[in-house]
Amino acid sequence: MIEAHGLAKRFGDKTAVDGITFSVQPGKVTGFLGPNGAGKSTTMRMIVGLDRPTAGSVRVNGAPYASHKAPLREVGALLEARAVHPRRTAYNHLRALAATHGIGKKRINQVIEQTGLGPVAKKRVGSFSMGMGQRLGIAVALLGDPRTLIFDEPVNGLDPEGVQWVRHLARGLAAEGRTVFISSHLMSEMAVTADHLIVIGRGRILADAPMEQVIAGGGRERSLVRSDDAAALAAAIGSDGVEVRRLAPDQLVVLGLSARGIAEAALSRRILVTELTPQTTSLEDAYMELTHGEVEYESQGIEQGGKETPNHP
Amino acid sequence: MSTATTSKNPPESAPADPTGSGVSFLRVLKSEWIKVTTVPSTVILLAVTVLVMVGLAAGAAWGTVQLANEAADRATQSAPSAGATAEAAPTAVPGAAVPTAVPTEGAGVPTDGAAGDSADDSPGGPPAASSLVREVPSSGVLFGQLLIASLAVVLVASEWGTGMIRSTFSAVPKRTPALLAKNLIIAVVSFIVGAGAAFISFLVARPILGSADLSLSLGDDGVLASILNTGTFLALLAVFSMGIGTLLRNTAGGVVTAIGVIFVLPLVATILQNLGDWISDAARFLPSNAGAQLVMAGTTAEGDLTQLQGGLVLGAWAAVLLITSIVVTKKRDV
Repeated sequence: MIEAHGLAKRFGDKTAVDGITFSVQPGKVTGFLGPNGAGKSTTMRMIVGLDRPTAGSVRVNGAPYASHKAPLREVGALLEARAVHPRRTAYNHLRALAATHGIGKKRINQVIEQTGLGPVAKKRVGSFSMGMGQRLGIAVALLGDPRTLIFDEPVNGLDPEGVQWVRHLARGLAAEGRTVFISSHLMSEMAVTADHLIVIGRGRILADAPMEQVIAGGGRERSLVRSDDAAALAAAIGSDGVEVRRLAPDQLVVLGLSARGIAEAALSRRILVTELTPQTTSLEDAYMELTHGEVEYESQGIEQGGKETPNHP
Repeated sequence: MSTATTSKNPPESAPADPTGSGVSFLRVLKSEWIKVTTVPSTVILLAVTVLVMVGLAAGAAWGTVQLANEAADRATQSAPSAGATAEAAPTAVPGAAVPTAVPTEGAGVPTDGAAGDSADDSPGGPPAASSLVREVPSSGVLFGQLLIASLAVVLVASEWGTGMIRSTFSAVPKRTPALLAKNLIIAVVSFIVGAGAAFISFLVARPILGSADLSLSLGDDGVLASILNTGTFLALLAVFSMGIGTLLRNTAGGVVTAIGVIFVLPLVATILQNLGDWISDAARFLPSNAGAQLVMAGTTAEGDLTQLQGGLVLGAWAAVLLITSIVVTKKRDV
């Protein structure tokens, strides 16, 4: 359980995190999605007390991270791939961190086995591939068998097998009742891993909702309709909560009404419908819509985005 | 198998691992000790420090022997006298062999009680060794302080350089215990290295000095204190340097700064001393100058800090850097 309240961080005159309030619930995987530079890593570093908040507070399992007697048993965090001395072996790195909590050899060997580090455990970390470095970071996070796990971009540098392994690990940990908070800028990855999404852009929260809801774009259904008498159809279905956008003289986009509802309205008024396509918004579409205008380093000169999508606040 | 083990633990309940629970200072100490011993360069640097210190002391012993022999030759030419060799050496060429030697040292000018003691004691034995001889075991400290200061900076600054500090402070988010443990370990290790190297130097120097009938024993005035204080000097200097490394968080910058304060500032003070008395007065309070008084085994020159005062001044430097580095680090983002 993570609870942030008015959490803010400024570096000089640059605001990285702009007073965000959210909570991450146990028993599910919560994705923390946002473009690069949106404030994901800063938020995660503040959760474990590495960055001092400029304002607001954040509690983990009911208390600020630093006030826990056994922090590693409360929260396990993979924050950066390399938070390791390159000339120390993976085993000794784990041993040094385990020692602070009196965690024994048995548990060290368990996490080494669990993360597949066995063959390289006695090698210097400096010789590790990025994927192995990520696995070591995850091993550290698991060391204290914590109730809450924080993974910052865990699939970075992992091969497809590793990506799948992280996905299963995260889902497994959540199924055990733990709080799992994973950041990513990859929408596709979150779509298959997370149950709940917190979307962040320029330090502000753009969405905080269950995955299906974010994909559905706030619960509104969306259909593409083609009809020779589009104007009449638009008038027929236009009502409260239904939005009709006219794309072409014979083409409509209908939001907030099921395909069946549209078909029934057309039938009752004897309007010929030549196409009726329910559209499932992909997470990617939803994400683009949400973060449009919130991307810090938007590529210039590409004029295609934003013509149709209204700007979200 | 491990997955199965973790899944049995109800996450809402207390910590699953029955062996040990929370962070304690002893555990942090153990963790820091593991860190020191598991980076090979640290261990190598410590071994090199001992070797270099002993080597320097052996050289100093050899130089003292040469000096004594020259003095003896001169003495036989003017007035042959059997037991005068030991005392003659420093009187003849004060401070020439060992850089730390106090220039005013000499049997003929007892400035206080301590100097009087050194003139004649050691019941039934040969004449007491001069302070030059008695300071031979600690003479390696000149170079030892360079290595220990660098090591202290590297130990802490490399944590920032490599990102390890984020792991360290994630495990010990209160931060102070981790920094205190680091300082305690570098202090104890430096003490053992310093005092150990000085004692080995003592053992190595004895036969060398003996070849010129110069005697050196632990019972000689100030010898044991000088050997032990070689450790004290390095321990305090290590804490001082670790403070610099913690504040700067950069290995190269930290080493340069520490070496600058320890070696270059005293030199600058010496060069500029003619500009005013206050410069040499102030220079006495520089960490390395104050610390050098700790390993003295003879008279204190007029105006110099005493052994105790020197130790207290260096201790104050170390304490200020330690406290500042902790206060600053607690506020910082890592």
